[in-house]
Amino acid sequence: MKQHRLIGDVGILAGGFALLWFAPSFASDYALQISFRVMIYLTLAESWNLLTGSVGLVSLGTASFVGLGSYVAFGLANHFGTPLPVILMICALAGALLATVVSPALFRLRGVYFTVGTLALAALLQLLMVNLPTFGGASGIFLKHDPPPLPSLYHYALSVALVTALAMAICARTRISVIIRAVRDDEDAAAQMGVRPYRVKLGAFALASALIAMAGAVQAINLGAIEPYGTFGLQWTIDTLSMVIIGGIGWRLGPLAGVLFVVALGEMLANYPEAHIAITGVILIVLIRFAPSGIVGLLTRLFTRPRRLSSP
Amino acid sequence: MPDFGTVASAIISGLLLGGMMGLIALGLSIVLGVMRLVNLAHGVFLVMGAYAGLYFLKYTGIDPLLALPLLALGIAALALPLYRYLLAPLAHRGPEAQLMTMFAVAIILQNLFVFTFSADTRSIERSYATLPLSLGTVTVPLIYVIGFAIAVALILAIHGLIAHTGFGRDLRASAADPAAAATLGVNVQRVQMLTFALGTACAGVGGILIGVAFQFSPSSGGAYLLNSLAIVVLGGLGNVLGTLAGGMILGLLQSLGGLTLGDGYRDIVGMALFLLVLVFRPEGFLAARRA
Repeated sequence: MKQHRLIGDVGILAGGFALLWFAPSFASDYALQISFRVMIYLTLAESWNLLTGSVGLVSLGTASFVGLGSYVAFGLANHFGTPLPVILMICALAGALLATVVSPALFRLRGVYFTVGTLALAALLQLLMVNLPTFGGASGIFLKHDPPPLPSLYHYALSVALVTALAMAICARTRISVIIRAVRDDEDAAAQMGVRPYRVKLGAFALASALIAMAGAVQAINLGAIEPYGTFGLQWTIDTLSMVIIGGIGWRLGPLAGVLFVVALGEMLANYPEAHIAITGVILIVLIRFAPSGIVGLLTRLFTRPRRLSSP
Repeated sequence: MPDFGTVASAIISGLLLGGMMGLIALGLSIVLGVMRLVNLAHGVFLVMGAYAGLYFLKYTGIDPLLALPLLALGIAALALPLYRYLLAPLAHRGPEAQLMTMFAVAIILQNLFVFTFSADTRSIERSYATLPLSLGTVTVPLIYVIGFAIAVALILAIHGLIAHTGFGRDLRASAADPAAAATLGVNVQRVQMLTFALGTACAGVGGILIGVAFQFSPSSGGAYLLNSLAIVVLGGLGNVLGTLAGGMILGLLQSLGGLTLGDGYRDIVGMALFLLVLVFRPEGFLAARRA
């Protein structure tokens, strides 16, 4: 049963990927920039949804791994002229590695302490980059060579998003989903059943971090210049969190719905950045209070209410 | 190699500043102990206090340090509706809902400050803020001594409140076991609301002291929030006097870090210490459930 669903998911993803691959041949530069951003955000949101929605680890450290990917990518590109596909693979490894290195500290305690630990990690890395002259200090680093043209970068962003979506399909449609849910709902009970919660949490954290680092790398190369306040900035964390909460935390389609909503809102309020963030904050408060399952949760309830006996 | 006077001045300045940080961290600590909430808006509340002091001085001409009780009450009063309308309805939904709500409050307020007061760096200008206080070769800013004295007096007052009053007994009971406390007739929601207001007032008063001693901007809150977390971990949750000690230790280490590595490393010391304590002494967070 589950095998069929996985094959179905992979089919849909492959079809969508093939269609979107040809976007550069008919989309305008503006539309392509927006699509690029959607792909990057989608990767961040799907990863955060896996970590927070599925495993129950609320992370405020998205910026750590966006920043890590950006700096590793620039280092490799500037010093070794490494080709972009190899850069992305190394960034993924670096993300997983950093997650593994800090996990003894972050997993030591459950719940909110993981959250504040990830927040402190992002702040620590940002301050280190500001103060270490090797990494360009506060003024940052420029890409020495011209970045690939936008259509090519869009293809990289699309590919990273596809890898992310495939990873999420595997996590949701195989036995892994049962293990993840067991750990989220009751770590101790899961441990009694022979599941190792620490390994499951570490696996999800490392996977999410690897994907986020790849997105960070593609995003940074598109920018052509990085500095610590932007790449390790809280904005990445706010955007990721709000997209998933608005879309529907824990739902498969939540990240996609949230990304489209937030990108559209951002375009509408492009000239009022402060108002944009404040309005996002208000939307978050209202949704957390009145619709904790977000847009997708609301729509699902709207369309399935007659058939459902008890709400989830 | 810096001479004795420089080193001694840095150490004493660090300890004094650490005392002020201890007051700020105490606000975070009591909210965490009683409500199980890491108040991610704590740093923004601090900035709010600094702006309150700045505009109070501007419109009344009265030194905000003289009007501290009034300003503290005002800031605490602002916390009441936040608790009543945003936090209380989420009390039964696990810690994450409240945590993320306060995160949203933080980003709203921070952008509101940018919108209303601009992103410029400000400070509460007082003539005594720049005066040095010298003893031999040791020199510390006078405002550090004043701020330290105020902070320690308030920390001791809060210690007395928690240890020796009826409200303190209810607070300790609510922190130890909210359900049991409620069974015994403690109005846990009221205790939580007053604790939240007290915690916010600590941040606000700390913000006024910081505003007189240093510069601040709408985005200053983040570093104070994270340093406060490091102090709470160092001092042990629920240990009021331990929080003061934790603040002074962090202040000392930050001063030494700034002296030996450069000023940019002051805050790095705080974050690194926080993560290190999490690895090696996590019981600092959880062991002492007393509030």
